[in-house]
Amino acid sequence: MDPTPRSRWRATLGDIHFWIPVAVLVIGLIVLWWIA
Amino acid sequence: MDRLNELDPARLRNLQRVGTLCGFAAGAWLGAAEAPTKLVTLGVSPVLISFMMVLGVFLARWSLPALVRGTATLKDDVRQAPHLLVWAALGGCLWAVANTLTIFAIKDIGLAVAFPLWNSNSLLGILWGTLLFNELRDAGRSRWIAVLGGALVMFAGATVLAVTSAAHAPGGNAVRGVVAALTAGALWGTMYIPYRKAYLTGMHPLSFIAFFTIGELVMMTVLALVFLGGPAEVWRELAASRGVLFWLLVAGFVWVVGDLFQQYAAKYVGISRGIPLSNTNQLWGLLWGMFVFGELASGGRGAVIAGSLLMAAGAGAIAFASAPAREYRRWQEAGARESARYGVDPAYVAARMAGGAPAARHTLLDWLLVLAATAVFVGSAMIAAVPALQIGWGWAAALTLAIFGMLVAGGVALWRTTRFG
Repeated sequence: MDPTPRSRWRATLGDIHFWIPVAVLVIGLIVLWWIA
Repeated sequence: MDRLNELDPARLRNLQRVGTLCGFAAGAWLGAAEAPTKLVTLGVSPVLISFMMVLGVFLARWSLPALVRGTATLKDDVRQAPHLLVWAALGGCLWAVANTLTIFAIKDIGLAVAFPLWNSNSLLGILWGTLLFNELRDAGRSRWIAVLGGALVMFAGATVLAVTSAAHAPGGNAVRGVVAALTAGALWGTMYIPYRKAYLTGMHPLSFIAFFTIGELVMMTVLALVFLGGPAEVWRELAASRGVLFWLLVAGFVWVVGDLFQQYAAKYVGISRGIPLSNTNQLWGLLWGMFVFGELASGGRGAVIAGSLLMAAGAGAIAFASAPAREYRRWQEAGARESARYGVDPAYVAARMAGGAPAARHTLLDWLLVLAATAVFVGSAMIAAVPALQIGWGWAAALTLAIFGMLVAGGVALWRTTRFG
């Protein structure tokens, strides 16, 4: 069965690999806020 | 995993060779791209500089792929793996924040010293490549030693350079500069997770960067609006800095050429090897910083050169530890895992990993994109002012010639082996 957009979203949000860059991006924004 | 096909050993060697060459070409072009950011010493806001660079990046990232491959082929990739658009945009956001941080770092501790600090991203690349994508699995003890030993030597080199930064900071806040550079390294090291994810799922590098740049532009626009105080202020500062716009658009363009090579390196040798190779940009940055812009003229050059040589030696050791067939099989397993998770055709993923790609198809839209980008560059060149900096033009010409040599070598090798696949 072909994957649906919903199932792909669910797969993305359930993928730990996705949350690592998200967490690092948030940290980067905090540092930038402090520096700028 | 028995359904995974063995890749012909000669083909694997060729792909590894091309990936390695792309890594070195990426280093040359990424290093050259940082040089125009020296303009921060002229009083232009770092956020505005980053914003203008991203405009150049955006123009290049839509016009170069249109020229090389045609935008029509983007649709094939989007149809096969639409979820990767989110990953690409996330990577672009990471790049935009990191790039802004590097400009603060350059302002505080100088280009020649800031470079190796953010190039600590290679250590993170090795970590993510090994942990998440099976890189270096079944690679054998000697390759592990080469990669880990190389990483440690690079770390030692970075430390030498960091210590030098405290003594030779160009008048800025050294602690703030070091934190900015290291955070940029963390962002740029993690940015390779989306890169590798895309290539293990069969996406074409030129498709990936087209969507990557949308994340970049959106994130950078938000940062410019927040830090500069709204659209009116952004416009006012852009108008006031129009004399340097051309140089920063060029910086963005040059960066994209380097990043294209970097994408191919990430695809064909993986991120644990590809990042250190492209991090030879530090040595190019050192050449541009010292000889073209006269950095470190007051002292500290010896320590910077020693630290940089250490980093280069580490990168070299990693470069020679190319992936054997049994490690490539583990990459294929990681690709099969992604196929299963996201429902992408495994045959499509395997073919793309081995360098296969559909033929280029050009439409009228592609030529319009190329024409529009060219018009913006020509227009900004007409209002450009030559920066009031002491510049070693002879060295600048020699380095420019060298990076074009790398472009030709890398481009020809890619075309012969993969047809830009």
